[in-house]
Amino acid sequence: MPQGNSTGGQIVAILEVRDLHKDFGGLKVLFGIDLSVEEGERHAIIGPNGAGKSTLFNLITGKYTPTRGRVLFDGRNITGLPPHRIVRLGLARSFQITNIFRIMSVFQNVRNAVLSRMGIRYRIFPRLSKLASVDEEVDFILSQIGLLEKRDIPAGELAHGQQRALEIGLTLALDPKVILLDEPTAGMSSSETRDTVELIERVTEGRTLVIVEHDMDVVFRIANRVTVIYYGKVLASGRPEEIRNDQRVKDAYLGEERT
Amino acid sequence: MSRFTLLRTVLLGVGAALLIVAPSVLSVVKTRMLTEIAYFALFAVSYNFLFGWAGLLSFGHAAYFGLGAYVTAISLKHMPGLHLLVGMGLGALAGAVGGAIIGFFCVRRKGSYFALLTLAFNQFLWAIAWKWREVTGGDDGIGRFVPRRPVDLGLFYLDLTRIPNKYYFTMAVVVIFLAMGWYLLQTPFGNTIQAVKVNEERAAFLGYNVNRSKLLIFTLAAFYAGIAGSLFALFQDFVATSAIGLGMSTEVLFMAFLGGTGSYFGPILGAAIFVYFTDWVSSITEHWEFFLGVLFIVLVLYFHRGFIGLIPSKVRGVFAAGK
Repeated sequence: MPQGNSTGGQIVAILEVRDLHKDFGGLKVLFGIDLSVEEGERHAIIGPNGAGKSTLFNLITGKYTPTRGRVLFDGRNITGLPPHRIVRLGLARSFQITNIFRIMSVFQNVRNAVLSRMGIRYRIFPRLSKLASVDEEVDFILSQIGLLEKRDIPAGELAHGQQRALEIGLTLALDPKVILLDEPTAGMSSSETRDTVELIERVTEGRTLVIVEHDMDVVFRIANRVTVIYYGKVLASGRPEEIRNDQRVKDAYLGEERT
Repeated sequence: MSRFTLLRTVLLGVGAALLIVAPSVLSVVKTRMLTEIAYFALFAVSYNFLFGWAGLLSFGHAAYFGLGAYVTAISLKHMPGLHLLVGMGLGALAGAVGGAIIGFFCVRRKGSYFALLTLAFNQFLWAIAWKWREVTGGDDGIGRFVPRRPVDLGLFYLDLTRIPNKYYFTMAVVVIFLAMGWYLLQTPFGNTIQAVKVNEERAAFLGYNVNRSKLLIFTLAAFYAGIAGSLFALFQDFVATSAIGLGMSTEVLFMAFLGGTGSYFGPILGAAIFVYFTDWVSSITEHWEFFLGVLFIVLVLYFHRGFIGLIPSKVRGVFAAGK
């Protein structure tokens, strides 16, 4: 039986991580992570630097293979699948360090994502410039992320904040069931952060969102569920206000931010 | 861009007219040279499918050129009555199949490991060509397999013992496949190849199968190299181990870099310069390879965009592929 099917009217977990372990040549980074993300949930993952948040993302999205444990997406076991297979199932991610096609134009960047989503990857007819519906879709996404005016410049020449917006746009253009954002406000000024939070709220509306974030204001504004990871383990998981008041979390993490 | 389209059409028309009248106004020696440039241009463009478009540095591209040349020669030699085009098609197919098999292993490795694997496979095929005398003739090679009688091309018969006819035939095949290659790079397939080159990891996380796209372009490049090799066999009417040796792999790399790997037309220019340069220098001195080496060093140090980089970008823009 596939896991995650609705039983007795329970809400279905679209993404489930079970007892996930990861060693890097003897260095244990994660030991026994359990995580459950329900459809429509806005789930933030927080924790101090080196807690294993990015590793968890990389395990879920297929960049690394777990040493032990399973990842279930939409009732399917996706553990060990290569990244492109996982993406095609509807689980897309952004990167903490901007990962875009720098020498391609902003338009071409988003088009790469739209072409892939439409399954137009190896077609040799017609030529690209004749795919008007693709171009329209790309321009629509560019207008959503506020980069329509920058469409023809190389992505590498965008300002930092704009590159971060493009990073989110690439993920969004895949029209995924679940979006994973890895520190979308990394390295941003407070005004850039505010714009990015607005952007995220706007474009991810109605979607399932998993976000790794350092900025607590961002977390408590966006998320309706928070999981705290502390040295490779889940320390706590619950509604934002529960997490805010959890003594262990205060001791381990929030406390040190506020002193 | 319509001004450009008009200009392009005019330039292509003039170019085609020049290629058509060339054998009537040029000496036999020059016509031979132009034929040689044509199949080397196709070979160099096929090399650039890998390096320029996919970012894959191959040190063993002669493997597929050689497969094309040998399979064309062997099948025409041992199957009397086999149509020339079938023999050449088998050669091209051999290049593609060889590319698919070897590429399967190579694309799983990156950077210098990829390059060294292509080199190793090339050397492996060269050793077979050298040792398997009964089939390949070893270092004596295989000769005299091109039909002496005019070849039925459906609409007309073509006497391929005549140099101008060889020229026309070669040029026609080369132009058709160059045009097809140019088209392919402007399709979603071509875009996928470039996206994987520009950012492999991001491409994978957008749903692109990176290995598959590399294997496809590797196979296509090998197919094109196979066609070039079969044209080489037809032109020389002789194939020996030099066609599949590492020297040939180096020469095609040189041609591509000489012309410029950043442009579709660069390697074509590179093949022309290479053939002319070696002909000219070797008429002056027997140490022509020394001067070739000097040219390559100067190129890499000071003109790494190749000769096409010396042409103003506005002029190049007329022919720019829709990247």
